[in-house]
Amino acid sequence: MSTEVASPPTSNTPTTQILPLELIEKCIGSRIWICMKNEKEFVGTLLGFDTYVNIFLKDVIEYENTPEGTKQIKLEYILLNGNHVCLVIYRSSVIIID
Amino acid sequence: MSAVAPSTTSASGGAATSNNNNAQFNFFKMCIGRPVVVKLNNGVEYRGILEVVDGNMNIVMEQTEEYLNGQLKTKYGDCFLRGNNVLYISAQSKK
Amino acid sequence: MEKRDEGTIEEPLDLIRLSLDERIFVKMRQDRELRGKLHAYDQHLNMILSDVEETIRVVEKDEETDEEIVKSIKRKIKMLFVRGDGVILISPPLRSN
Repeated sequence: MSTEVASPPTSNTPTTQILPLELIEKCIGSRIWICMKNEKEFVGTLLGFDTYVNIFLKDVIEYENTPEGTKQIKLEYILLNGNHVCLVIYRSSVIIID
Repeated sequence: MSAVAPSTTSASGGAATSNNNNAQFNFFKMCIGRPVVVKLNNGVEYRGILEVVDGNMNIVMEQTEEYLNGQLKTKYGDCFLRGNNVLYISAQSKK
Repeated sequence: MEKRDEGTIEEPLDLIRLSLDERIFVKMRQDRELRGKLHAYDQHLNMILSDVEETIRVVEKDEETDEEIVKSIKRKIKMLFVRGDGVILISPPLRSN
C-alpha cells in the first residue's frame, strides 16, 4: 500500500496535490490581496516571493485601518516582509459585497 | 509517502526560490543608492538612501529621516535597521 | 574574508563593525533609547555598551484632567549588555567619508 502511494511522484504523472507555494507561484503577474496579522492589507501585482513568503509587489495600495477610517497609501514597488503575512488571496477570486 | 512528498516539495519549491530570489535581488539592485521608504511594524517610516540590505532584511540607509504619522521626527546620518521590525521596503522606478 | 577593505560596507552589519569603539545611538522597543560606546556585538545585535545614558519615555495620564504627560526618565549605566531582539535602530556618529 505504502509503495503504491509513494510511486506517483517518481513517475511523471501530474501531481494531485498542489503545494501552497505553488498556488502563490501561479499568481505571479496578477493582482493579489494580502492580509497581514495586524489590521493592515495590501493589494498589488505579484512579481515574486520566496520560501519565507517575503513578497515583491508592484503598483501597490496599502490599506491601513485607523480610528478615522481606512487610509490608503500608494506605493510603486515594495518588498513586503513575510513575517507578518497572514493571507494571500488571488484578487479575481474575491467577490466584493459593498 | 512522507519520504517522497518532501522531495517534490523541495524540487518545485527550489525552482520557485531561485526565480524569486532573483526577483528580490533585482529589487535590491534597483534600489541601492536610491531613495527608499522603509516602514516598520510599529508604523514608523524611514526615508533615505538605501545603502545595503541582507537576507534578514537588516537595512543600512544614509541621510535617513524618521517620520511618525507623516511628521518628521529625527534625522540620522547613517542608520541601521534591524530586519525583524521591517514591514516593507518601498521604491519608485526611475522617472 | 577579513582582508577586504576595512572602510567599505558590503552587508548591513559592516556599519556596526565600523562603529566599534565609537559612541552610538540605539533605539529600542518600548520607547527606550541608549547612547553609549560600543565594545562588542554579534549577528543578533546583542551588544556591550559602556558609559550608557538610557532615556525612557513614559506617558502618564493625569487622572483629573485626562491630560497625557510625557516624561523622560534618564539614567546612567557604566556597562550594559543589550539583548538584540529589542533593538529597532542603530545610528553611529557621522562618518567622515
